[in-house]
Amino acid sequence: MTRKHLLAAAVAAAIAGQAGAAETVRIGELHPITGPASYYGLPESQAIRLAAEQINAAGGLDIGGETRMIEIVSGDTQASPTGGVAALRKLMADGVQIIIGPLSSGVAPALTPIIASADVVQIVDGSIAEGLTDGRRMFRNQATVGDYNLALERLAKARGYDSVAIMTDRFHAGFMESQDDLTAVFSEQGNAVVAEEYYKLGDTDFSGQLTTIAGADPDALIVRGYPSEGALITRQVRDLGYEGQIVWEMVSPPSTVMKNIDAATMEGVLNAIPPTTEDYLNLGNPRAIAMAEAYEATYGSVPGELAALSFDALHIVAAAIEKAGSIEPADIAGAMATLTAAEVPALINTYGAQEDGRLFDETGQVSLPGAVSVWQGEGWVPLTDLAAD
Amino acid sequence: MLELLPQQLANGLALGSTYALVAMGLTLIFGVLLIPNFAHGELYMLGGFLTYAGVTAGLDFWLAAVLATVLVMGLGVLVDRITFKPLEQASGLSLMISALAMSIVLQQIATITWGTEPRTIPNPVPGILRTPFASLTYHKLLIIAVMVLGAVGLWAILNRTRLGLSIRAVSQNRDAALLMGIEMWKVRAATFAIGAAFGALAGALLGAAFPIYPTMGVIPVLKALVVLVLGGIGSIPGAILGGLLLGVAEVLIAGYISSELQDIGAFVILVAMLLVRPQGLFGRAQIER
Repeated sequence: MTRKHLLAAAVAAAIAGQAGAAETVRIGELHPITGPASYYGLPESQAIRLAAEQINAAGGLDIGGETRMIEIVSGDTQASPTGGVAALRKLMADGVQIIIGPLSSGVAPALTPIIASADVVQIVDGSIAEGLTDGRRMFRNQATVGDYNLALERLAKARGYDSVAIMTDRFHAGFMESQDDLTAVFSEQGNAVVAEEYYKLGDTDFSGQLTTIAGADPDALIVRGYPSEGALITRQVRDLGYEGQIVWEMVSPPSTVMKNIDAATMEGVLNAIPPTTEDYLNLGNPRAIAMAEAYEATYGSVPGELAALSFDALHIVAAAIEKAGSIEPADIAGAMATLTAAEVPALINTYGAQEDGRLFDETGQVSLPGAVSVWQGEGWVPLTDLAAD
Repeated sequence: MLELLPQQLANGLALGSTYALVAMGLTLIFGVLLIPNFAHGELYMLGGFLTYAGVTAGLDFWLAAVLATVLVMGLGVLVDRITFKPLEQASGLSLMISALAMSIVLQQIATITWGTEPRTIPNPVPGILRTPFASLTYHKLLIIAVMVLGAVGLWAILNRTRLGLSIRAVSQNRDAALLMGIEMWKVRAATFAIGAAFGALAGALLGAAFPIYPTMGVIPVLKALVVLVLGGIGSIPGAILGGLLLGVAEVLIAGYISSELQDIGAFVILVAMLLVRPQGLFGRAQIER
């Protein structure tokens, strides 16, 4: 074979490879695969890959009579706005037009203006910050911070706390922007806010703020942020002698919690958030159980608390593509806006339907009401009676 | 609010002791060899991870911490041989870039070895000392005690041994020390080993209270740099006092002004010190002619 023949063969192989790649539907996922929030992000990323593998194994996507496989392209946000923007731009430069993510509420607002002006469709499966969806190109199957707060407000009312203190991650866009609304509701309900203190992801010493809070001795201390810091705050405030009720508002995998605090100190801590993967497993949800078993078989670990949301997000995207019969972002977005839960039978989370039966409201937001759990032993257990101690 | 002051001061002293412990190693290396060892944060991180590895292998915490410290001392010498010794004649900027590169290399090695998931070591001294004025965990008291003992030990080495005399001589006038027959390689190795020991000890002790992860050294080394500027670069008493001042200032700002200003406050103090007394509390003013 001459050098010319070899070159021709290489070119032909490259073209064939490109043609093969064009047969897949490329879906980008943006999560913190490394960094301080990787305990959330890696399971989310893996749940999306699991869902894609299952769909591919079942024959792939039927797009207007043509079958295509899903190809997942990962972007690592490292839970930082800079990392998130860089990862999004790389996905877009690679031609990805369907994005799932991000997780972090500090990252999501940085991506919104880029996505709003690009030819892409996005479904957010992690961030709870307000204002991330528009119902045209940007959707979310995670709750908003408002949904989170509803459970907290109901709890404070049911228990009749005379005084509360709030400790918030000041770089969490969702929690920070809803802080004033939350304190206003508390005040209206008669739950006087006696202290508002702040910290940031990655802090380890909270003694200055917690001494002030312990000095005010509120009936409840509400901690809003991420579980590593939540556990350290809980431990340190107990060390300072605070004996009131501690209430978290954060998705908190027990494995992460237990790395930072002992079970005895956690006993009785409450958490006000929408149900997580673990809650659905505890409730015996068969789709959650099937997903968890497949996840463990594939990755050798239990799925993260947010994995069910990511698993759902991929299925929502897949259903929208099939319904649209197209992989054009505008068509997918149009189909997604009219999807009903019945059209996505693989969903794990129990989303509240809109009045007309659609999954998303006109702003592209699902309804996912919060609930309260209590820490017992080595994990969270749903709390049925909010008023009960 | 003033009734909380004793507790806040105790909090600040405990936090400041952690800063001082990390800063002492960094200032020793800079003071003697004029090397900005940004990889010091990674030696601190490896102290935590190696202690964690020892404890998970079934060793007693104290034995694991000692072994980790010895290993990190050796690693400190190796870091010097690979990162700084070949650049002996290079500019300060080259040393800084080389230090940052080593810092990233060590972070990546830790990531490959242990992953990114944070780990924790069981607290070897559980319990709380409660007094009418303030409460402190035994763990925080241990850190304060180790910082004090470490400072006394370092003072003894520098002022009561021939090795210390050599280190001080190099610190004061490197060329004259070489002319007097002081073996530079011994001074370098000892300085890096002792500096690394402080980082490793801090990592081992703090790893028993806070999560251990590959990038955990970044913030402490930044805080240590602030401490160095406050106390005076190269000054051991400056590192101690600077660390304690920074710790107390951060806690008082969080407790009495606003927790949103905690980090800004630290760097405002840094800028103020640079404006008012650029050489720091214990540093010597450099005059260029």
